[in-house]
Formats: sequence, C-alpha cells, structure tokens
Amino acid sequence: MDVAVLMLVGGVGAGIFGSLLGLGGGLLIVPLLTLGFHLPLREAIGVSLVCVIVTSGASAGIFLERRVANLRLGMTLELFTATGALLGGLIAFLLDERVLAGLFSALLIYVAVSMIRPRTAVASPDADARLDGESLERATFMDRLSGPGYRVHRLRAGIVGSVGAGVASALLGIGGGLIKVPVLHVVMGVPLRVATATSNLVIGITASTSAWIYLIRGGIDPYAAGPTAVGVFVGASIGSRIAHRVDLRALRVLFTVVLLYTAFQMLRRAAGVQ
Amino acid sequence: MSEPRAGTTGQAGPETQDTAARAAGLEGSVARLLRVGTYTAIGLIVVGVALMLATGRSPLDLAPALAPERLFDDLIRLQPAGFLWLGMIVLLLTPAARVALGGIGYARAGDRPMALIAALVLVVITTGVVLGIQGA
Repeated sequence: MDVAVLMLVGGVGAGIFGSLLGLGGGLLIVPLLTLGFHLPLREAIGVSLVCVIVTSGASAGIFLERRVANLRLGMTLELFTATGALLGGLIAFLLDERVLAGLFSALLIYVAVSMIRPRTAVASPDADARLDGESLERATFMDRLSGPGYRVHRLRAGIVGSVGAGVASALLGIGGGLIKVPVLHVVMGVPLRVATATSNLVIGITASTSAWIYLIRGGIDPYAAGPTAVGVFVGASIGSRIAHRVDLRALRVLFTVVLLYTAFQMLRRAAGVQ
Repeated sequence: MSEPRAGTTGQAGPETQDTAARAAGLEGSVARLLRVGTYTAIGLIVVGVALMLATGRSPLDLAPALAPERLFDDLIRLQPAGFLWLGMIVLLLTPAARVALGGIGYARAGDRPMALIAALVLVVITTGVVLGIQGA
C-alpha cells in the first residue's frame, strides 16, 4: 500500500485512540512516525506538533461556543505555556536525538503508570466562591479569571506548571494537556470539564509557538505532516462520536501495554540499539 | 447536577449581564475564527495530499523547503508542496489570530490587563519566529 495512505491510516488510529482516552494525538504520532516509518525523531516531533494544533483548533471552537472553556484563564496561562514552548523549541535543536528519545520514553512510562494507577480523589472546586451579585467591572484579576461555581486558586503554581507544560510540549511534540489538566484541576481548583476544555484551547498556542521554530528550521516535512494531520483530524472526529459506545476500561489496559512496548522501543533507540 | 460553565457570572445585575453578553460575543467570534482557520488549513492540506497521491509522491521523499516567493507559483502549477505549505502556515497562524482577536475584543471592552496579556503572547510567538529565522 502507498506510504501516504499508510501514514493517513496511522493518523486516523492515533486520532481515535487519543480522542477516546483524552490524550491527544501527540503521544502516539511520534512513536508511529519514528518506529513505524523511520522518520528522524525531531522531524516526527515537528509533524506531531502540527497534528496537535489540528485537534486543538477543531475542538477548542466547540468548547468555546458551548461556553465550557474559560477564555480569560486560558489566555492568561498561554503567556506562560508559550514562553515555555519558546524555550523548549530552542533547546530541542540543541539536544541529541537520543536524549529526546530517552525523555519521550520516560513520558510514555509515566502515562502508562498513570493509566493503570487507581484514581485518587482530587480537591473539589470551591463551589461557594462564585461572584454572586458582584459586578465583573469591580472584581479583582483573580475574580475575573474564575467562573460560575469555582474560584481560581494558586495562580503562581499554575504559571510554573504552564511553563513546564510548554517546555515538554516543544521538546516531545505533545500538546502538554497531560500536565495542564492536572494543574488546572488539582492545583488551581478548576472543575475537570472546564480544565479539559481550557487546556484544549491553550494547547493550540503552546504547540504553534514551537511549531513555528520547527517549521522555519526545517523540522517539519510537509509530505509527512500532510497525510498524518488529515488522518488525525478524521480519527479525532470519529473518536469523539464513538466514545460513548466503547469500553474504555478494556481500551486502557490495551493502551497501557502498547505504551509500555513503545517506551521499551524508544529506550532501545535512546541507547543506540536501533 | 448541572455542569459549571466558564466565563459567565452566577447572579447578574444589569452591568454584569452586559459584561457577560460581551464575553459571550467575543467567545463566539473567537470560536468562529478557530473553526474557519482550522477547516481552511485542513482543506488546503487535503488538496495537497490528494495531489501527492495523484503524482506518486511519498511522505518519505524529500519535500521542497518552504520558499514564500515560490508559493504562489506552486499553487498555480498544482504542486502538492504549495498546498501543503500554505495549509501549514494557515494552521500555525490560526491560534495567533485567535489571540489577536481576543486581545482586540478585550481592549474594546476596556479590559487592559487581558489586552496586555494577549499582546505579550503575540510578542512571545513573534520572538520564536525571529529566533527561528536567525538560527535557521
């Protein structure tokens, strides 16, 4: 079969899995392109960033129209994720590909362990902290970042987490939602649904900041990025439509095995075995 | 239990209702921009991929480097790289355009801190582009 078609089909698979498990496509695109199609790791990361922007752009608009995403909070954190992505994008071109492979392997193991670990209770949003009867015009900056039924806490910790998410995104070609969602939800007290939607919005800026650096420095190959991005777009659309019909527990177990196997292969690459 | 929504206040006086309505209008505009930008980019990329398949080009082939001065010619001559590069550029510009639109909306509403934040985000993105060019 034509390699372009194979890459498109791989993108569809990554988009479906990513959408069903709420991971985004980045985590799967990089191993798919490096281990499956033998693309250089840095080029695969560039393609993955393009795919992340596609999925973010398509879903963030819907979240905003449904008024689930918090635009004000998202834009505030974007300043810091973009700064992190700028630093990460510059560092990425200084690091040896084997170091990047080692970092990616560590990320895969972390996600695999997170998926099989029992979920712990998280701090519930401050339900009494709404701005009842208070005019936004007179509210403080933190009040303005908050939404109905919750008040945003620990902005400084959120800023630190956002910078870290930006660096990780640029280095590894992921959206950074793995970091942003827990930071927004657990640390800053934002309800999970709003945290996920807001993270999705922020991911677009995070990925595009470093993607510009990759694109200008020749780190994005349009022939590889095109079919993969179209595949991820189609896959993410399918995933969001079939999510309610899929047994996510079985899928998580399968996915954990896939992640651990992929982490092993990436470790071999980091060690120079492949 | 109803899901919390972002960007609106719980109780509302006339002043707050006006602010909430402005916020909803801005979020709607931003959402439309994101959708139009993303779908335009995907449309261009789909055309590029179709041309790749039609002309037998493989994703493993070396693609021509981005040359803005050649982009128009490539589009006219139905070269896959032209459509793919333009799609990528539209895609990468869309989040920045969304921030710019948000910043303008906040500035019009007199929300200086948010307008400043939007401007700073654009400065960071522009810095990345400039540093990328210098290091290329």
